[in-house]
Amino acid sequence: MNPLTATAVGKRYRSRWAVRDCSFTIPEGKVVALVGPNGAGKSTLLGMAAGIVRPTTGGLSAFGTPTAGRTHPDVSYLGQNRSLYHDLTVRELTRAVGSMNDRWSTDRVHEVLGLLTGVDHDAKVGTLSAGTRTQVAIAMALGRLPRLLLLDEPLSDLDPLARDETLRIIMTEVADRGTTVVMSSHLLTDLREVCDHILLVDEGRVQVDGDIEEVLARHRILVGPAADESSVEGTLVSATRTARQSTLLLREAAPTPKGWEGTEPDLESLVMGYLRASRERRR
Amino acid sequence: MIWVSWRRQRPQLITLLAMLVVGAGVVVLLRSSMLDSITSSGLTECVTRTTQECSTNKSAGDFRAEWSTRLQLGQAAIIFLPVLIGLFIGAPLFARELEQGTHVLAFTQSVSRTRWMLSKLVVALVPALVVLIALQYLVWWWLTTAGVMGPRVNGSFQVFNFGIEHVSPVAYTLFAFAVGAFVGVVTRRTLVAMIVTLGAFTVLRFALFDVVTRVMTTQREVVTSGLSPTASRDASLVISQGYLDAAGQPIAPDKVGAAVQACKATWTPEGQQEYVACLAKSDLGRRYADFIPESQAWQAHLVDASIYGALAVLLLVGTGWALRRQS
Repeated sequence: MNPLTATAVGKRYRSRWAVRDCSFTIPEGKVVALVGPNGAGKSTLLGMAAGIVRPTTGGLSAFGTPTAGRTHPDVSYLGQNRSLYHDLTVRELTRAVGSMNDRWSTDRVHEVLGLLTGVDHDAKVGTLSAGTRTQVAIAMALGRLPRLLLLDEPLSDLDPLARDETLRIIMTEVADRGTTVVMSSHLLTDLREVCDHILLVDEGRVQVDGDIEEVLARHRILVGPAADESSVEGTLVSATRTARQSTLLLREAAPTPKGWEGTEPDLESLVMGYLRASRERRR
Repeated sequence: MIWVSWRRQRPQLITLLAMLVVGAGVVVLLRSSMLDSITSSGLTECVTRTTQECSTNKSAGDFRAEWSTRLQLGQAAIIFLPVLIGLFIGAPLFARELEQGTHVLAFTQSVSRTRWMLSKLVVALVPALVVLIALQYLVWWWLTTAGVMGPRVNGSFQVFNFGIEHVSPVAYTLFAFAVGAFVGVVTRRTLVAMIVTLGAFTVLRFALFDVVTRVMTTQREVVTSGLSPTASRDASLVISQGYLDAAGQPIAPDKVGAAVQACKATWTPEGQQEYVACLAKSDLGRRYADFIPESQAWQAHLVDASIYGALAVLLLVGTGWALRRQS
């Protein structure tokens, strides 16, 4: 049973479609980077996977069970606004979240919080810094002993050191328990270190879905003369052209033509290429 | 789960407890000081009976001047407590979670939304009802001490007495609380929920005031003209009164007015006999009053409570439904 399967899922807010006709399957044990421009529908997609956003069309299933209306017991979700009870202390919060779960490991929470520097268990959650709150929220998510971890922008308000700590915790979780992770982020360099699968969404649709190595191998960046692009074959994703030379991102490119220089893109330039293309389409 | 709800509700519960302690202290002190003043002015007799002497006695007048406002404030506290509970405990209960997004934390754990809702409801509502009932009992105890020298002289059907007796306050509280909870879930705004609760509660309390007495069966008292029905003098609730024709049917008020006007001419200061005889000649020989005796006030309270209680149950079911639909 796959941790997450989307079947033509769509979500409309009033007249605007946040997610439209998305279908994909996330295989067990993958660490998936969910990327896309702001407003692409990443948070909506994760919310639907967690069962707190109701799809307008289609549906998602976690481990074979439809997710609408309730969170699957094997799924943990970290929302973008890190919903935590701010008037409770970290210790009380741990007890509170534990009492709302059938399967729960306080030891796991303490273990995770122990790996993080400077979390005072008797401090009110509301007095913690945004970064520490995020780390506490991740600890709570891991206390559920999930098989699928959904993280919406887990790194967004962390300083570089905390980011490193947090990524290490996620990686340890994957290594120890074989947890499948789907995380959305704009920090592509960080994602590259931990993720092995990419799901690129834009305008509510899936643009790229696959293992990062394969996806990168399928794309080429060609740099060549601005004057003549006729010899280039393949699906053009995006291009930046100056007076002298063109830089093209191509999918399923044919062998590099004469006069052009071809390289395999890295994750960052691949995602940048797609984001640029979407911005131009919208213009 | 109950622990979570209790911990989240702790500030309100502490406030309720403080209200209970302060309220009870104030009532106990006021009552004992009032009791002293009754015994020292030798008014003990006047507490149970309304005699001629009690209504003209100077110390009775002083007592009323001193205590009637305080006793009415005690009544007002119980009149307003239900809507305050609705506003400050019912309305924010779910609205605040939805507003701040903290419902997501609960919704993504394994506890079901219905169980989450029920545990929050129980933890918020039960202590509020306990405090309400305790304060209601204390105020009743205080008012009873003043007896007929206090507001109770007006009988159980008088608006302020009715609103603080029997199960009515509990039913009002349930209703106000349920409106707050429901509107809070639907609008996801605490302030909106509070305003709607205040509005809905006030409107309904005014609108339903005579509905209760209209659905109850009344008793009819008939006396000859010139006398007034006892029901209009004691604490019974008079629904309608007027004159009866020979067939025993009530006469239309405009016809009564014309006949009474015509007979006014025969009225002399010496006696009413001729006036009454004139009324009898004009077919106004008998007066009637349809009333509900004070001893049946408990039935009116049950009707009242079942209306508000049923509305509260509907609203709470609606709250559960809206929370399940919440996304």
